[in-house]
Amino acid sequence: MDFIRVLLSRFRGLFGKRKLDGDLEEELRAHIDLAIAENMQRGMKAQKARTMALREFGGLTQVKESYRIQRGLPWFEEAARNIRYAVRQLRKSPGFTVTAIITLALGIGAATSVFSVVDAVLLKPFAFRDPDRLVVLREVQDEAGNERFLVPDNYRHFMRLKNDSKTLEDAAIFRQYGMSISPTGDHPRIVGTVTASPNVFAVLGVRPMLGRGFVNSDAEKGAANVVVLSYEGWQTFFAGDTKAVGQTLRIGGEPATVIGVLGPGVRFPQIALAPKIDFQEGAQDALLYQPFVPGDRDLSADTGNFNYKAIARLKPGVALAQANAELDELQKAYTLSAHLSMHLGAALTPLAQDVASGVSGALWLLFAAVGAVLLIACVNLANLQLARAVNAEGETAVRAALGASRGQLVRSRLTESMVLAIAGGTAGAALAFGGVRLLLALAPADLPRLDEVNVSLPVLAFSSGLSIAAAIVFGVLPALRSLRVAPQAALKTNQTRAANTQQGQRTRGLMVAAQVACTVVLLIVTSLALRSFSRLMSQNRGFDSNRITLAQVDLFAPQYGDFSGNMKAVKLSFADRTLAALNQMPGVQSVALTSVAPLTGETWVDTISRPDHPVPPEQEPRINVRWVNPGYVPTMQIPLISGRNIAAADRANSYVVLISERTAREAFGGEDPVGKRIDGLVPDDKHPMTVIGVVADTRINGLKDTAAMVYVPYWAFTPWTLSFMVRSTRPSDALIPEMRRAIWQIDPQVAIPMLKSMDDQVSESVAADRFQAMLLSGFGAAALLLALLGVYGVLAYSVTLRRREFGIRIALGSGKSALIGLVLRQATYPVLLGTGVGLGVALIALRWVRSLLYQTPVLDPLAIGCSILLLFVAAAIAALIPARRAASIDPMKALRTE
Amino acid sequence: MGENKSDVLQGTLDLMVLKTLEAMGPLHGYGVARRIEQVSDNGLSLNQGTIYPALLRLQQRGWIQAEWGVSETNRRAKFYSLSRIGRKKIAEETENWERIAGTMARFLAPSS
Repeated sequence: MDFIRVLLSRFRGLFGKRKLDGDLEEELRAHIDLAIAENMQRGMKAQKARTMALREFGGLTQVKESYRIQRGLPWFEEAARNIRYAVRQLRKSPGFTVTAIITLALGIGAATSVFSVVDAVLLKPFAFRDPDRLVVLREVQDEAGNERFLVPDNYRHFMRLKNDSKTLEDAAIFRQYGMSISPTGDHPRIVGTVTASPNVFAVLGVRPMLGRGFVNSDAEKGAANVVVLSYEGWQTFFAGDTKAVGQTLRIGGEPATVIGVLGPGVRFPQIALAPKIDFQEGAQDALLYQPFVPGDRDLSADTGNFNYKAIARLKPGVALAQANAELDELQKAYTLSAHLSMHLGAALTPLAQDVASGVSGALWLLFAAVGAVLLIACVNLANLQLARAVNAEGETAVRAALGASRGQLVRSRLTESMVLAIAGGTAGAALAFGGVRLLLALAPADLPRLDEVNVSLPVLAFSSGLSIAAAIVFGVLPALRSLRVAPQAALKTNQTRAANTQQGQRTRGLMVAAQVACTVVLLIVTSLALRSFSRLMSQNRGFDSNRITLAQVDLFAPQYGDFSGNMKAVKLSFADRTLAALNQMPGVQSVALTSVAPLTGETWVDTISRPDHPVPPEQEPRINVRWVNPGYVPTMQIPLISGRNIAAADRANSYVVLISERTAREAFGGEDPVGKRIDGLVPDDKHPMTVIGVVADTRINGLKDTAAMVYVPYWAFTPWTLSFMVRSTRPSDALIPEMRRAIWQIDPQVAIPMLKSMDDQVSESVAADRFQAMLLSGFGAAALLLALLGVYGVLAYSVTLRRREFGIRIALGSGKSALIGLVLRQATYPVLLGTGVGLGVALIALRWVRSLLYQTPVLDPLAIGCSILLLFVAAAIAALIPARRAASIDPMKALRTE
Repeated sequence: MGENKSDVLQGTLDLMVLKTLEAMGPLHGYGVARRIEQVSDNGLSLNQGTIYPALLRLQQRGWIQAEWGVSETNRRAKFYSLSRIGRKKIAEETENWERIAGTMARFLAPSS
């Protein structure tokens, strides 16, 4: 209580000082007057009475001083004074201030925003119960040569593993689809849907917020159609209405009853079918959950039908390796006892690792890059601060000579560093928030868990703490050192400064070398990433994306049936009518139909078996099947190598295939494949097929690799997703609305989830690589800028210190170029040293970058050469500015000042 | 904070001021100083000025309050008086002081 009252009263004492001083003055005068009066009453003379009164009072000034100190908050007043002084000092040297604040902001902002993404994608646990115990279960196929491929799950195998395992607590099988939904009876849209066994919520450990989850009877054949909504789905389709449970939603044209709603933050993880297969199905967030009802094929097929994903929960205390070994054994034993034609095992991957597997390398690289930037920033700050402290030595000495205590001097330097740190820290935090937004805007849409990215406060605290600590430590340390110098010595500036310069110059040189080393590594990595990206974009793709417009159409409505009730004629009619309508549009040169939109990864993977050349099933070449029209090859401008293209005449007998060169090589070796027969590829149809032609390889599934393709006429089988590609003389912008109108004129109840130019599709398919290259370039540029500032700062400072010396040199007849050379040489050693160290570090570190590059050797001489050249040029420019200033010193002025 | 007297002395002076104000009622600084000199029979070589920081301290704690008034010689002067808190504190402080004094006395007593 007393303490607070005292503090408050002292705080009041900070204000209205003049009146308080007047009061004190008056009170003390009254004291003296009263004493004089009493003394005179006792018979003293006026003069004596006054002297006595003053003597008895004691030191008037000391009393006033201690009274004043006690009245206010002296440390507060000193701090306020220090802040005013620091701000004034900083404003006096705007170059230093701006550089330091930019350095702090760059370091803090970049590190925090990148780490926030790393945190959300790689580190933050999922919002499920005990997410560490969740694993993804896949089957493993052993191929010749001890190669093991992860493959998706077969339903029968999954059920057997789930029932026999003693290490799994529970497991759920599921698929992710896009389902068409039209809540307002409008054109349908495609939303992410998870179809899973009824225990999926129990496995994940989440409970619906409203209503209920699935029960086993929901997944029985003929059960009522039910759906559980994600929180976002509930917001989208029912605007968060609490009475949504019990209402009906039409999914793919079929009514389904809403039985439950999940809470906010429950997001179904994006799990790939298998690592080799690019993730593409259900890439959108899951808004709907439906129970998985196994079909006849699921219950009977034992070798094919690897179409499912499975997520399992380990029993508490079970190690991953233990469960892995158990399941692998179980599956191997089953393969043998059931005499399956393939060798199968099983493998588990921790959920978090599986979800991030495709991006973790790239993200860690970015994080390392940003760590290097942070390091450079800290070194830069230290350097700036050291230079400044030495600069301020003379002033410190003056203040010490005038009676400032050591504590006061240190506190004053500390305050200046803190003012800088707070300004830079604030700018850095702002940059971090902006940077996260920027990253989200730039990031490829399929980066997992992107919607969970937020500025991570612990990281913000860490990176700002680090750079602020650097600013403060290096601001205060030199101040402590300069205090050891006696003021008299410091005031005789020349000797002391020269001494300080020698020693400080070496430290600062080393710091510049460290910066240069980091920058060299970063620049090399950046240029490698850029080289890799430009190679990816400039290589031959085997098809021409120019002037093609792409529309994907999903036939998810009851009239188009599904695998169990194949409404072949309806789908075929839709495809035919749409092709005809698109051909009618003005300016159209040709129209192609394919079953899978280009650049969406491997899908419809099958194997080729040749009746004339049987091989064991695991040695059959894997191929991608595409259902196309005769216009596909000319529209994509794929060169025909041999044989002929699919023709209209094949409609009557559509068991013909076109194969790509790679398929020809892998399945037929040196033989001529044209005219050869292969086993049927049409679902539920064993009719053999004839190879009628070979076309060139294309990078149609992804720009990084050619694909082994088999093209089959869509007359043999028409899938439920159709991609129409129109080659036209008119731009995509004009075609897009016309194509949409044409398609919906034929059936307004089909969904069009993709409608864009093929060039956009190509560009989006490399979004991740572009993201990486762009960010690395940003960090490379930041590092280069910081290193440049570092070199410049050190030289500019040393030129200022050596003005007198340069003046004398000029007076003695030294030429301008000699002086410039003198200063440049000073920069040479740290830059060369740093480059050497940087190259050494790069040689070791680049090993980890190799897997992230596309067909680019890590020791690419061009990339390394360019990086070093760029650095040298930048360093030369940074050094030349102070060097020229040194050369233009007026000797008369230089010798007169100081 | 510029206080270079020991806490015991400080506490002593504070208690003297409080007791003075308790006994005499509202009093100006000079009066307090004189009264302390008289009671201690000039046994305390105290600069009269030192009571002002003590008065300020007690005021900041809220134990005493001050207001301007007119002295017996018609001089404008600041008069101090005990606050309600101050009155309560006197007992507490007295007890404190007696305990310390008692302890000191035991130390100073000739050991047998």
